[in-house]
Amino acid sequence: MSGGNETAGRNYWRTLQELADSTEFAAAVEREAPRFRDMLGTLDRRRFLQLMAASLALGGLSGCGPEAEPRQLLPYVEQPPDLVPGRWRHYATATTHEGYATGVLISHQMARPVKVEGNPDHPASRGAASALIQASILTLYDPRRSHTIVRDGQIESWQSLVGALFERRNALRKNGGDGLRLLTGTVTSPTLAAQIAALQQAFPAMRWHQWEPLARDNEMLAARQALGRPCELTYDLGPADAIFAVESDLISAAPGHLAYARQFAARRRPAETDGTMSRVYAIESTPTLIGAKADHRLPLKPAEIDLALRYLAAAVGAGPQQWAQRPTPHAEWLSAAAEDLMQHRGRALVHVGREQPLQSHLLAQAINGALGGFGTTVKPIEPVMAAPMLQQQSLRELFADIGAGKVETLVMLDTNPVYSAPAELDVAAALRQVKLSVSLSLYVDETAAASNWHVPLAHEYEAWGDARAFDGTVSIQQPQVRRLYGGRSPLELLAVLLGDTQPEDRAIVRQFWQQEAQRLGGGDFERFWHEALRHGLIEQTAAAPLSATPPGDLARHVPDAAPEAPGTVRTTLLFRPDEGVRDGRYADNAWLLEMPRPLTRLTWDNAALLAPTTAQKLGIKNEDVIEIATGAAKLLAPVFVLPGQAADCITLPLGFGRRGGGLGAGIGFDAYRLRGGNDPWSAAAVSIKKTGATMQLASIQGHDHVAARDLIHEGSLGQYRKDPKFMKQVETDQSLYPPYEYPGRAWAMAIDLNSCIGCQACVIACQAENNIPTVGKELVLQSRVMHWLRIDRYYSGPPDNPDVAFEPMPCMHCENAPCEVVCPVHATVHDHEGLNLMVYNRCIGTRFCSNNCPYKVRRFNFFAYAMNEERVPESWNPEVTVRGRGVMEKCTYCIQRIRTTEIDADRESRKIHDGEVVTACQQSCPTQAIVFGNRNDHDSAVAKRKASPLDYVLLEDLNTRPRTSYTGLIRNPNPAIKKGET
Amino acid sequence: MAIFGPRANLFMNVALAAAAVLVAVLLLAIWVVPVSGYNTQKRYRPQQPVPFSHQHHVSGLGLDCRYCHTAVEVSSNAGMPPTETCMTCHSQIWTNAALLAPVRQSLAEKKPLRWTRVYTLPDYVYFDHSIHVAKGVGCTECHGPIGDMSLTWKASTLEMRWCLSCHRDPAPHLRPKDQVFNPHWHRTSDTPSGKQLMAEYHIHPETLTDCGVCHR
Repeated sequence: MSGGNETAGRNYWRTLQELADSTEFAAAVEREAPRFRDMLGTLDRRRFLQLMAASLALGGLSGCGPEAEPRQLLPYVEQPPDLVPGRWRHYATATTHEGYATGVLISHQMARPVKVEGNPDHPASRGAASALIQASILTLYDPRRSHTIVRDGQIESWQSLVGALFERRNALRKNGGDGLRLLTGTVTSPTLAAQIAALQQAFPAMRWHQWEPLARDNEMLAARQALGRPCELTYDLGPADAIFAVESDLISAAPGHLAYARQFAARRRPAETDGTMSRVYAIESTPTLIGAKADHRLPLKPAEIDLALRYLAAAVGAGPQQWAQRPTPHAEWLSAAAEDLMQHRGRALVHVGREQPLQSHLLAQAINGALGGFGTTVKPIEPVMAAPMLQQQSLRELFADIGAGKVETLVMLDTNPVYSAPAELDVAAALRQVKLSVSLSLYVDETAAASNWHVPLAHEYEAWGDARAFDGTVSIQQPQVRRLYGGRSPLELLAVLLGDTQPEDRAIVRQFWQQEAQRLGGGDFERFWHEALRHGLIEQTAAAPLSATPPGDLARHVPDAAPEAPGTVRTTLLFRPDEGVRDGRYADNAWLLEMPRPLTRLTWDNAALLAPTTAQKLGIKNEDVIEIATGAAKLLAPVFVLPGQAADCITLPLGFGRRGGGLGAGIGFDAYRLRGGNDPWSAAAVSIKKTGATMQLASIQGHDHVAARDLIHEGSLGQYRKDPKFMKQVETDQSLYPPYEYPGRAWAMAIDLNSCIGCQACVIACQAENNIPTVGKELVLQSRVMHWLRIDRYYSGPPDNPDVAFEPMPCMHCENAPCEVVCPVHATVHDHEGLNLMVYNRCIGTRFCSNNCPYKVRRFNFFAYAMNEERVPESWNPEVTVRGRGVMEKCTYCIQRIRTTEIDADRESRKIHDGEVVTACQQSCPTQAIVFGNRNDHDSAVAKRKASPLDYVLLEDLNTRPRTSYTGLIRNPNPAIKKGET
Repeated sequence: MAIFGPRANLFMNVALAAAAVLVAVLLLAIWVVPVSGYNTQKRYRPQQPVPFSHQHHVSGLGLDCRYCHTAVEVSSNAGMPPTETCMTCHSQIWTNAALLAPVRQSLAEKKPLRWTRVYTLPDYVYFDHSIHVAKGVGCTECHGPIGDMSLTWKASTLEMRWCLSCHRDPAPHLRPKDQVFNPHWHRTSDTPSGKQLMAEYHIHPETLTDCGVCHR
C-alpha cells in the first residue's frame, strides 16, 4: 500500500459478504469468472469441433449480399434557416423537479431532440445535469406514455372534453365556483400561477390544493417561524468552512442541489486550494451522499438526532444549557463538532434534510443564527413557490371536503394522489364521489384510472411553459419537438376553464410575459422574448434576498419531541425517496430503474434497508423477505443490509410498487401503504416477521470484482499538509521496451475522488450519449448490465459506520492495454492519440478482452439488447453506433465528440483548445470531478490535475499505463475526535 | 450379390469429382460474391421519383455542387436540396413539365420528395464530407464522373479497402482547393504535386488509418 500510516491499515470492502470473506462470496466470484473446467463437462470434443466448423462455414455468409431494401433520402420541403443536417443544434429550455426549474440545453440532430445537457448560464445547473435530467429524454420518447383522452374507459376527443368542461363552467359561474377544486404539485410557474389567480377571481369559491409526496413542509414552516415571514432558504457553500449535515439532501436532491454540489466540491480539493478544505459532519438515520462525503459521520436514530441537535444548540449557545446536561450519545463527538463550528463562526452551516421533523429544522436555524450564518452561508429569499402552503394539510383538507360532499369538480394537474397520498386516505373511493374529476398526467396512472376524465399531459419538452429555479430565476420552457403523442399542457387545460375553447400554450405564455416585460423595464418585447428563449433564463428575476435573521431565543420555543416510552426498543420505519424514481413519478423510466443506487447499488427494486446489527438482532439476512406491520397495514419487503444505516431503523424507499403507469408498474413494493399523514417520514413498526421467503436483489456492487487490490488511495489533510507527496509511489518503469511515443495529442482523463459524490449523473449521461441499452433485472443479476461507466462504492472501517469512497470507473485507455494483445481479430486497437479503440464490426465476441481487463470495464452484448429497446429509433444518438448482438463494447472517451471537434479544428486549420472536447460524463458532472483533455498540452486542465501530487493510476504495478488517473481521496478529520469514535 | 456393383467405382469417382467441384464453387462464391458488383452494387442506378440529371444541371448549366448540397463544407452530411431549391428555377422554367410533377406536388402538399439512396454506408462507418472537401479531395474522387451522369449511379464500391487505398496514400487523390468542386478537373503539368498538397493541407497518412477515424 502506498499511503502513510493511516491508510496502510485500511481494508476496503464493497459488500458485507466480501468483508466476511464468506465461501458464498468466493462462489459468486467463481460464477462470474468461470474457469474452463466448468465448460469441460458440458461439451465433448466432437460436439465442440462440429459447432466450430459450422460457425466458421456459416459465419462468413452473413456478410454477403447487398441491403435488401434500398434506403431513402428525404430532404426538407422548406429547410429551416440555419439548420445544417449532421450538425448539432442546442435549444435552451428548463425542466422541473418538484416544481423547481433547472435550465437545460437540448441537443438536436436534424430537429430531433437527442440529448439533454445543463445550461451553463443557469444558476441551478451551471452546466451540470443530474441523472433525472439526463433520463428525461427517455420519458419524452416513451411509447408507453398516454396517447388518448379517456372518459370512464372510453376514448374521447378534445372537443368533447372542452364541451364537458364548458358545461361545468356554466354551472360553476352561477354559484361562484362552489365545489370547484384544483390539485397541483408545487407550482413555481408565474404563468400558471397567474392563470390560477384568474380562475380564483372568476370563481371566488374555488380552492387550490397542492400535494407533493416529498413536500418540504417542515423546512418551509421552520423557515417561516424562524424568520417570522414567508421565505425560502438558499445556501452558499462557498464560504462554508464547516458543514453540519443532518440527513441532508443538500447536494443530492434539494432544489438547487447541482449548484450546491459544485460549491461543496470546490471546497474539497485541497490540491487546488493550497491545502485548505472544508470539514463536514453528518448525523443521519439513512445514509446520504453528503454523509458519504463527511469527514465525521454518526448513524443516529431519529430520537437521537433530536437530542444531538439540542446538545449542539446548547453547546453553541443557541439553546438552553440544560440540553447539554441531558444524557446524549456521542456527547464528546458533538462537543468537538460544536467547538469546530464555533471556531468558524460566520463560515459554518447546519443543514437539515426535508425528512426531519419541524423541531430539528427550527433548531438548525437557531444554531445557524447563533453561528452568524444568516447572510453568509444561509441566504433567505422571498418565496419562490407561487403559493406556499402546507401540502400534507392541504391534501387532507381536500379529501375531508370530498368526504363531506363539498367537491363536485376536481381538476388534477400532473399529480398522482391515488398512489402517493397518506395510507389512511382512500383516494380512489373519494374520487368516485366527485361528479367530475379530470386527471392530466403523462401516463395512465393510478389517479387517471380512478378519475372520470384522463387527459394525456404533454411532456415538458413538448409544450410551452415557465418555471422558477431554487433562487427564483425564471426560465421560459419552449417545446423541443412537436407533441409526439398528442398531450395537453396544464396551461391549456386551465385556459379551457377560463373560457378559451382553443387554447394555445405559446400564446398564453407570451401574453403573460408581454405584461411582465413591461413591469421588468419595458423595452422591445420581441427582443426580450427572443433573449429569454435563447438564453434559457430571464435576467434579474431571482427572488429578492431578505436580510432577516432568526431571533436569538428561537431554540427556547422549540417544543420538546414526544418522549419515547422507556424500555420499548421499537423499530422505526423511515420513508425516504428513492434516488432514482424519487416519489414514483420517474418509475416508468428504464434508465432510472436500472441506475445503480449510489450506496446500495441496487437496480430494478427497492428494499427495506437495515443496519447490519439490526439485521443480526432480528435474525434477518440479505434478500430475506420480511413482513412489516404498522398499526394499520402490512407490507412484504425484501431486505438489504446497508452498512451505515442507524440501528433499529428500517428505511423503506418510496416510489416503487406502482399499480399503473408504464414500465414501472409492479416493480418493487409500495411503501406508501404504510405511510401516514401525521408523520409522513417515519412510523413505528408493530411487528417485523420473517416470512421464510427470499427474493433476489440485483445489486451490482458484487459484480466486476477487481480482486482485493489497492484501488483507493486516501489519506488525511494533515498528512497532505505535512508532505503533499505522501501518496506518491516510487515510480518504476517496469517495461523492457521503450514506451510508445505520442508526439501529437494524447487524450487523457483525470477523476477527482474528493469531488465525486456518487450521484450517478455521469452514468446516465453516458447511457444517453452512447446509446447504451438497458437489460432488465434478470440480466443484471447475471452481471450483464451494460453501463460503460460505473461508480464503485467502497467501504472501509466498521460495517455499522464505515467510511465511504466513490470511484467512477470508465475505460482506463491503458497505453499497454491488456485487452488488445488477446484479441484474435484486432477488434480493439490503439490509435495515434492513445485511445483504446473498439471496432464493433471486427469483433467476433470471444470476450478474451474482457477477461484480460484488470479493471473490468468491458461490456458484452449477450443479446440484441438495443434492438429490443422500446424507444423509437429516432431517439438514438446518430453519432454513435448502435451495437448488435455478440459485440464487445466499452467507454470510448466519447470518441464521437473528439472526432467532431478534431474535424472542425482541422478544417479550420487550428489547434484544439483546452476544454473544447468535453466527454458526456464530464459535462453532466455537478462537481467537476471529471476532467478530460490533451495530456501533452501542459496548460490543459487535465495535465494540471495529473501533475497534482495526489494523482495516481489504478493497479500501477501491472504497468498498463492507464490514461485515466485519479486524484487521491483526502479526508479532513477533526483532531479532537478520536479515531474509532469516527 | 456383391456389395459393390460393377459401376461402384464410377459412382465413387463422380461423387469425389462432384465434391471437389462443389468445394471449389463454394470457395469461389465466398471469395467472389463479396467483391462482385452484385454485392458492392457498383454502377447501381436506381429509379428516382424525378429523373434528375447531374449532367444537365452541372455540366450543361454550370451549377456549382454547393448550390444544392449546401452543407458539404461544414458538415458530415452534404445535404440534399429541399424542394424549395428546385423551385427557385422551376417556378420560372419548365413550370408545366410532366417530369417535374412530383416536385410541384411536394411543394403543394408539403411532403418531401423520396429519393432512393445511391451511396449507403453501414451504420458503424462515419464519413464526413466537410473534412474531405477541406483537404482537397474532389467530389469526383468518390462520386466518379457525376457531372456527366444523366441518372446518378454509384461510382465506387465503398468497400473498406477502397477507403483505405486513399487513406494509406492520399497524395494521388488530392487537388488544389479551388478545383474541389470542378467535375472535369484533370491533373496538369502545373498542378502542385500530391506531396506538396499533402504538406500544404497538413495531412498525416499514418494517423489516417486509425480505426477510430471512421468507426466510433
